[in-house]
Amino acid sequence: MSKFAPLEAFAPSGAADLQLLPLRFERLSAGRYLVTNIVGDFLVLARDDLDRIAALDLRPGDGLYEKAFSRHLIAPKGRVGQLQLLALRLRSRMAFLREPTPLHLFVVTLRCEHSCPYCQVSRRSTDRGLYDMDESTAMRALNIALSAPPSSLKLEFQGGEPLLNFDLIKKIVLAAKERGPRRGKQLEFVITTNLALLTDSILAFCKDNGVLLSTSLDGPADLHNRNRPRPGGNSHELAVEGIRRAQEFLGRDRIGALMTTAEASLERPEEIIDEYVRLGLDGIFLRPLSPYGFAVKTKWIKGYDAARWLAFYRRGLRYILNLNKRGTHFPEFHAAMLMQRLLTDRPLGYVDLRSPSGAGLGALVYNYDGKVFASDEGRMLAEMGDRTFELGDVSADDYHSLVLSDRLVDLVGKSLTQCAPQCSSCAFEPHCGADPVYHHATQGDALGIKPLSDFCARQKGILALLIDLLDNSPDDAAVLRRWVAP
Amino acid sequence: MPAVTVVFDQNTQALGPLQEAAYRLIGVAACQIEQADTSFTCTLHPQAGSAGDLEALRLRFLDIVTDENLRAKVSAETEGVRNVVLALAFGALARAQAAPQVEQGKGE
Repeated sequence: MSKFAPLEAFAPSGAADLQLLPLRFERLSAGRYLVTNIVGDFLVLARDDLDRIAALDLRPGDGLYEKAFSRHLIAPKGRVGQLQLLALRLRSRMAFLREPTPLHLFVVTLRCEHSCPYCQVSRRSTDRGLYDMDESTAMRALNIALSAPPSSLKLEFQGGEPLLNFDLIKKIVLAAKERGPRRGKQLEFVITTNLALLTDSILAFCKDNGVLLSTSLDGPADLHNRNRPRPGGNSHELAVEGIRRAQEFLGRDRIGALMTTAEASLERPEEIIDEYVRLGLDGIFLRPLSPYGFAVKTKWIKGYDAARWLAFYRRGLRYILNLNKRGTHFPEFHAAMLMQRLLTDRPLGYVDLRSPSGAGLGALVYNYDGKVFASDEGRMLAEMGDRTFELGDVSADDYHSLVLSDRLVDLVGKSLTQCAPQCSSCAFEPHCGADPVYHHATQGDALGIKPLSDFCARQKGILALLIDLLDNSPDDAAVLRRWVAP
Repeated sequence: MPAVTVVFDQNTQALGPLQEAAYRLIGVAACQIEQADTSFTCTLHPQAGSAGDLEALRLRFLDIVTDENLRAKVSAETEGVRNVVLALAFGALARAQAAPQVEQGKGE
């Protein structure tokens, strides 16, 4: 006699033995639906198949049953194993919440020698006394940063152009390296710089202290210099020279670059990507303009809408995928992040694409004047006269009073996508995030009216594109999968 | 200003999905929902600048309402399971947070 019951004993006989698990769906096109479960596993289905799943009109062996079962859209009634698995996976995906505020940004000066018309931080060109952070403010900010719970912290130096106040950066780095280990902290340092003021002594300091560099590169010289004017009109020349020197002196993986899409970029994604490849950079982040600072004042933000930017993104991603297929490993970082969300349960705490929002819980920003903001974009808004995202001041607050402030709790609570209109039933939600600062800036509402939101349109557009490639283009899918290999 | 009207029988259509559908249509049309004895009347006013094809707008609204009805059904049927999954995922965190207070209480 067999020790095991026959196979049929484990198969549900029909709808009465099955239960529907939480699922969400979104219409992709006429008759085609994206269906996701509670942790974002996805299927693209015809309407009839979606209706059959919802009605539990399924039988083992009919194909749809197996698809629905493997994506945890259905489960045998009374079995908790599948629910426990989903719970574990959900907890893993949200594990970034257990390490609040790993990122701390120091705006060491608002001065800058560039005069970019899309500058989101409203840089100033004069008066060191008014727009530079002083040492006592910096040390108070550092104390707050080192009080954050995570054992690994990233300290990022922003501007303006932070190298205009490099002496203060040195003091902060050295003090952090002295105090951090005593508090059990591993520290990473990043300077976000246009590289125009880079010197050998700055590079030597970065090398000695493990400081990474992040710069801006908008593409070929004419495009970059048009976007990023400076005296001498040589921003591109200096950025390229700085990237090369940094790569040589610090190592190729010690410098990265970010691009911003201006209207003039829209027809040139291939040239922009080629420039990154030519310089040996390890990938590109195709980023739209943000609605803050001079980008609003100069109306550059109105240069294109979400549909035009998505067309640019699609063209750029196609070019990048083809490069990869020819043997060059070169990820598009936004797609790579979303692939991590789509294909794994590794937590992704990227501050601009998570819910609960990364404001305050993902990052704190210490402004040059000692004010503390919930996000980099929050301090950008403050320079425009809107102090909604100001949490306090380094002279009066500590870590807990900032992170537990009524203002931040209210802001994060108000913007949760898990219970927002439209988001709560959106199939893309497990892979998306809240952006209260963006929605406050564009709609005057931290939650945002998503049918009118370019943020929503862009995220949905990119996710739909990636899902389509995963489903229908095996060669592209293989490249995309490689970008998330651990 | 042109508008199109869609009438639903209250015996077969709940108000919630109509409100959800109206929300999803923001940006394309403003939807005014009026409740009578046995019906809901939805009047769709296309936004300025959106395409003026009223029949296409009516069909699009009906499609969205159909989707919202299914969402409401799935949400109601899976609410219990969703709560179980959430409790399994995050219940331990609540216990961990409560535990120190309990211990403190015992010592006093």
